[in-house]
Amino acid sequence: MNTNIWLIRREFWENRAIWMIPAIFGTLLILGALFGQISIPRLTTPEQMHEAAAAYQVIVGAMFYVVMSVYATWYLLDCLYADRRDRSILFWKSLPISDAKTVLSKLIVGMVLIPLVYYAVADATALVGAFILSIRARASIGGALWQPDVWWQIQVLWVYCIVTTALWYLPIAGWLMLVSAWAKRAVMLWAVLPPLVAFILERAIVGTQVIGHVLLVRLAGLPYVAFNGANLEWTEGKGIVDIDGVPASVWHLINPSGFFTSADTWIGAAVGAALIVAAIQLRTRRTEV
Amino acid sequence: MAPLIEARDLTKKYGQFVALDRANLKVEAGRIVGLIGPNGAGKTSALRAILGLTDYEGQLTVLGREPFRDRTALMNDCCFIADVAVLPSWLRVDQAIDFVAGVHPRFRRDRAAAFLAKTQIGGKRRMRELSKGMKTQVHLALTMAIDAKLLVLDEPTLGLDILARRSFYDALVNDYMDETRTILITTHQVEEVENLLTDIIFIDKGRIVLDASLEDVATRFAAVAVTGDRLDAARAERPFYERQILGKVVLYFDSVDAGRLAPFGEMHTPSVSDLFVAKLSGGVA
Repeated sequence: MNTNIWLIRREFWENRAIWMIPAIFGTLLILGALFGQISIPRLTTPEQMHEAAAAYQVIVGAMFYVVMSVYATWYLLDCLYADRRDRSILFWKSLPISDAKTVLSKLIVGMVLIPLVYYAVADATALVGAFILSIRARASIGGALWQPDVWWQIQVLWVYCIVTTALWYLPIAGWLMLVSAWAKRAVMLWAVLPPLVAFILERAIVGTQVIGHVLLVRLAGLPYVAFNGANLEWTEGKGIVDIDGVPASVWHLINPSGFFTSADTWIGAAVGAALIVAAIQLRTRRTEV
Repeated sequence: MAPLIEARDLTKKYGQFVALDRANLKVEAGRIVGLIGPNGAGKTSALRAILGLTDYEGQLTVLGREPFRDRTALMNDCCFIADVAVLPSWLRVDQAIDFVAGVHPRFRRDRAAAFLAKTQIGGKRRMRELSKGMKTQVHLALTMAIDAKLLVLDEPTLGLDILARRSFYDALVNDYMDETRTILITTHQVEEVENLLTDIIFIDKGRIVLDASLEDVATRFAAVAVTGDRLDAARAERPFYERQILGKVVLYFDSVDAGRLAPFGEMHTPSVSDLFVAKLSGGVA
């Protein structure tokens, strides 16, 4: 096996929370499905059933996505700092592994592998949960949750979300890793404070809000850039439809052409890459806490 | 053959503070070299530079490479233990072996396993569960299983009890050292290593005070115990340090012919620790 694979394995050894948090979260959801109170109104039309299946899958996925976002943020902020805090950086640096490889392995774990783990666990949880709910509420929903086409659409949505999230939040990830490679303590504070101070100073001194706007777009703008909500609307009895009245699918929802041609996407990615290069430089020079 | 380590005007500054001040040193292959100095003398800065962990001014080559630019490649032929407490607490012993075996082309798993088999340390134990002495043994097992040309040890026995220290150095000399290897050790506890060194480098306030093999030390330096009446005559030979013990004055000479010193009193080669004190106490007391 090559060095990169070992570096990835090391991250999974060190951070068992990568799979334990989603596993525990999934188990809790399944316990909720098993023993919780459920009251689902009777579904009659195929459209209602279809929509219920989609809503169920999206809600389960969204919950995992939120937990994943919080954990991945923490992971990226801690990953380079942890080695300096316990001084194990001196052990890692005694091995013939470049700092660039080390930093990139952590980036890939944070931006690709952690989301993939959550994706797999979310899928498994949704399937087991659907099985349980279908039995417990068979009178009202019957086989409504078993809709292969909905399931396939959710897979597309997950993969699309992972790709767009990784690209869109690359500057955030780069910033977190830079702080992680640099800060002597209080990484959380150092991650939040400088942008906050820059925002306040700009507003107070210059009177403009450019930084605030950039930060807002970056933090909250992904749904607007990557998804396509404008042409969809909710119609009684039919669920969400597009302008021609055709029931909406994931293909209506996602907007890859918009996302991948947006200047914001690529400017952000370039900034992210620059921050990661800076984090590698710091990792090369800084061995103390 | 070119020296394994060669530094010329090696300088390292931290802001205003000069940790290394135009230091020159050479380490030849096959030697066990002690880099000795008081706390804060620049030992760790020198090692950091040699290991490519820090940037520096001046010229430095280690195994023919520039350490800071070439650390990754350098670590194929050089390994180091920088204090024992640096193995991460979450790492299991078997994971540590797997990892190093996976990333290090010169690691020999059978050797690490054989070394660990002599200890009571199980493969499933995590570093946080091990005592400091056990951690040292694990670290040593990992390091000694690497066919490296240069081994660097930075205060390797700090915080260890006397039994663990002794077994550390015994393992180093008996199981590891051979003519193909070179060891560089820093310590501020001279007594502990003086029996195993072949060369010494004294460092003080960022400058190299002495860089010599022990054979050189034996021919160059002499300590003479002088009694009262011959003291003035002995002092005329310009000792670089003197101290009083039990009514006698011991004078330390550098490069003075033994024949000239013999008449003054009992003469011997100073031990490394005595020489260290003599050199670093600065001038005639």
